[in-house]
Amino acid sequence: MAVKIVTDSLSDLTDDIIGDLDITIVPLTVLFGRETYIDRVTITTEEFYRRLTTQNILPSTTQPTPQAFADVYNKLAEETDEILVITLSSKLSGTYQSAMSAIEMMEKKCRVEVIDSETVAMGLGLVVLAAAREARNGMKLEEITHFVQRSLERVHFIIYFDTLKYLAKGGRIGKAQVMLGSMLSFKPILTVKEGEISPVTRVRSQVAGIEYLFNFVTSFHQIDALAVEHSTQPEIADRLVDRLSVALPGKPIVRSVVSPVLGVHAGPNAIAATVLESN
Amino acid sequence: MRQNEVITGQDFREMFACATAWLEKSAQDIDALNVFPVPDGDTGTNMLLTMHSSMEEAYRAPDNSTSAIAQAIAKGALMGARGNSGVILSQILRGLAQDMTDKETLTGADLADALEEASRMAYKGLSNPVEGTILTVIKDASAAARKLVNEGNTDLTAVMDVAVKSANESVANTPTLLPILKESGVVDAGGQGLYTLLEGALHYLRGEAEQIQFRKPQMVASSIPLTARPPEMIAADEIPFGYCTEFMLKGQKLKADKIRTKLEKKGESLIVVGDDSTVRIHIHTLDPGDVIHYAASLGTMHQVSIRNMDEQHRDFLEMQRDKAPAVDMAIVAVVSGDGLAEVFTSLGVTAIVPGGQTMNPSTKDILRAIESSVSDKVIVLPNNKNIVLTAEQVKSLTNKSVEIVTTETIPQGVAALLAFDFEADLKTNARLMRQAIPAIKTVEITRAVRSTKINGMKIRRKQAIGLLNGELVAVGDSPTSALYDTLEKLDLDIQEIVTIYFGDETEQAEAEQASATIREKYPQLQVEVVKGGQPHYHYIVSVE
Repeated sequence: MAVKIVTDSLSDLTDDIIGDLDITIVPLTVLFGRETYIDRVTITTEEFYRRLTTQNILPSTTQPTPQAFADVYNKLAEETDEILVITLSSKLSGTYQSAMSAIEMMEKKCRVEVIDSETVAMGLGLVVLAAAREARNGMKLEEITHFVQRSLERVHFIIYFDTLKYLAKGGRIGKAQVMLGSMLSFKPILTVKEGEISPVTRVRSQVAGIEYLFNFVTSFHQIDALAVEHSTQPEIADRLVDRLSVALPGKPIVRSVVSPVLGVHAGPNAIAATVLESN
Repeated sequence: MRQNEVITGQDFREMFACATAWLEKSAQDIDALNVFPVPDGDTGTNMLLTMHSSMEEAYRAPDNSTSAIAQAIAKGALMGARGNSGVILSQILRGLAQDMTDKETLTGADLADALEEASRMAYKGLSNPVEGTILTVIKDASAAARKLVNEGNTDLTAVMDVAVKSANESVANTPTLLPILKESGVVDAGGQGLYTLLEGALHYLRGEAEQIQFRKPQMVASSIPLTARPPEMIAADEIPFGYCTEFMLKGQKLKADKIRTKLEKKGESLIVVGDDSTVRIHIHTLDPGDVIHYAASLGTMHQVSIRNMDEQHRDFLEMQRDKAPAVDMAIVAVVSGDGLAEVFTSLGVTAIVPGGQTMNPSTKDILRAIESSVSDKVIVLPNNKNIVLTAEQVKSLTNKSVEIVTTETIPQGVAALLAFDFEADLKTNARLMRQAIPAIKTVEITRAVRSTKINGMKIRRKQAIGLLNGELVAVGDSPTSALYDTLEKLDLDIQEIVTIYFGDETEQAEAEQASATIREKYPQLQVEVVKGGQPHYHYIVSVE
C-alpha cells in the first residue's frame, strides 16, 4: 500500500500535479469580513486578487480545523495504512497544530506522520511534489519522512513583494519588521527562514526585483526542481520562466500561482521563485 | 449584524467570557509588545489573569442582574489584578460596575455611560496619568460611544462597534503620543489588550462566539512608521530599576487617596485603587521594605509580590536578542541634512556621521562612530569623493572588521544601502553594495562659488549649476532650469525611477512642481520627492 501524501493549500500545487500524483489538499479558509471562502475551492485566485485590490476590506485567513484533517485521514485510511502530512510553517499558521490534533480524532488505525515544513508556497510545494513521486515509487513512510526532512534543507524560496502594506497589516511580518518605516519607497525581497518571514534585500522596482530572482535562481549549480509563481501578473512570471529556460536548458519549471492565503500578505504583483537543490 | 437593543445580566456575563477567551488567544503576542523600562514584563498575561479572576467571581454572583454580575466582575478584578495593566483594567471594570448599580439589563445608552465612568475611574487611580496608554484607549472608546448615543443610536451592538473601532484607531495612534513606543517600534500593550477585550465583547454581541473559536485577534498596526531600534545594552553602572512591588491591602476605612499621596515619593509607576475595605497597590521602588512597613500599619497584606526588575530587564534583553534579526552588522554613513539622515536611518544605518561637501568629518569622527557600534562588523558609506580617503584611514585604527564601500554621492549611498543582503556576511555585503553603485546616476544642483569657464560653458558666480556624476554639465538661472538641463543629458526614456532630495534652501512646492514637470515629459518614470534638508545643494537627484 503506497504512502498517501497530504498537504495544505499553501503548497500552491496545481490541479494537474495534485491529480497526477494523488496528493490530498486540505484547504485553509479566506475571510473577507464575515464572508468565508475555502481557499481555491469556493474562491478562485483571480476572484480573490480582484477583491483584494478593488475592495477596501482586508481579508484574513484561518487554519483548517482538526476535523477537516481527521476527515481526510479517515478517508485515506481506507486505502492505506501510512499517511504523511506536510504543512506550511507552524510559525505562520495553526495548520500544523490542526493536523497533529486530528491524529487523536481518527476512527481507523493508520500511521500518520506530520512534518512542519517551516516554509510556504512552492518551498513547500516542490518538496511535497518530490515526496509524492517517491511514494508512488513505493518508498515507505519512514524513508519518505527522512527524504522530506533532507529535501526541506535544500529548498530555497524567495518572493518579491510590490508592497509591505499587506504583510504589515496581517501581523505575520516576523523579522521583515526591520524593513518597515522607510522614508524611501522600495520593494522587498523576502524569504521564509526557520519558519518565519525574513528579509533578504530591497530593490527599487519590479524590473530590478525580477532581475534579483533570476540571478538568485541561476546562482545555484545543482538544481533538482524549479518553480515560478505570480499573484496577479502571469505575463511577468511567464517572461521570467522563458529567461530561466534559456539559462538553464532542460530544467522543468513548475509554473503556479501564489495562493490567496499567502496573497493576503503578499498583495498584488508579487512574484516568487523556488529552487530545490540536488543532493 | 445582529441587533441588540438590550441584554440581560447572563448575556453580560457571557459577553465578558467571550472577551476573555478572545484576549487569551493573543495574550502572548501582547506580551511581546512590552517596552522596558515600562512596568509589567507581560502585559497580555497579566490582563488575562486579571480577567480570569473576574470571571470566576462573575459565576459566583448572588443573582443574575447586570448590576450584580458587574459588581462581581469588578471585585474579582480587584482581588486578582496583576501588574500595572491588570490594576488599571480592574479600575476600568470598577467604573463599569459603579455605573450599573441597580440595573437589571444593559442598553446601548447604559454602555456609553458605563464606559465614561470606566474612563474616569482609570485616570483617577493613577497619580500621574500618561497618554498613549490604555488610559487614552478607554477615553477614546468612551467618547465614540457617547457621540453615537447622542446622535440617537442606542443599539447596544452599534455602540460597542464604534467603541471598538475608535479603540483600534486609538491603539494605532499610541506611538504618536508616547515617544518610547515609537522608539521601540511597538503600539501600547495595555491599549492593545483593552482593544482586544472590547473586540471580543463585540464578537459576542454579533453572535459570533462560535465562529471565533478558530480565529485569532489581529494586532493593531501603528499609524506612523516605526523603526525598531536595537535594544540598548545594559551598562554596569546603570541606575537600577529596583523592585516591582504589588499587594492587596485589607482593612477598615482605608483611604486610597491618602495612601497614594503617602507613597508618591517612595517610587515610580504608582497605582493605588480600591474601596475603603480593599486597596490594591502597585509601585516600583528601590526600597520595598519601606512601602511594606507603611502598609502593614494600615491593615493586613495579601498576595504580596516583590520582583527584582533588574532581573526582569535582563530577561527582557535576552528575549529581545532572540527576536532581533540575525544580522550582526553595523552600517556607518556620512550624511548631512535632517531629511537625508532620516532616510539613511530608516534604511538601516546604525550611526550617522554628520558631514559632506565643505564639511568633511575627521578620521576620528568616523572612528568614534565605528567604535560605538554594537557590532564588530562595520560597513562605512562615505557618500562623498572627498571623504573616501579619510574613511579608508580608519581601517588600520580599529580592531573591528571594517569594509569601506566607496560611495561618492548620496544616491550611491542609498543604492548601496538598499542592496544590503540580510542573509549575507560582511564581505559579501560589501561586494553586493559596491556592485549596486554603477547602476545609479547622480545629479546635483548647486551654485557656482566663482565665475569661471568650464567644459565650454561660461559661468557667473552664484549661477545655478548642474553636475552629472560629479561632472559639470549644465548652467542655468534657476536651480530648476539647471535641473531640467542636467536631466536632458541622460536618456530618461530608458530609466525607471527618479528620486529628488530637495535641500534646506528649497521649498517643497518647488520640488513637487519639478517632479510634476518631469513626470509629464516622461510618463513612464516613477518620480519620488523626499525632503533631504542638505545644505549647499538645492537638489540631489538619483536616476536609476
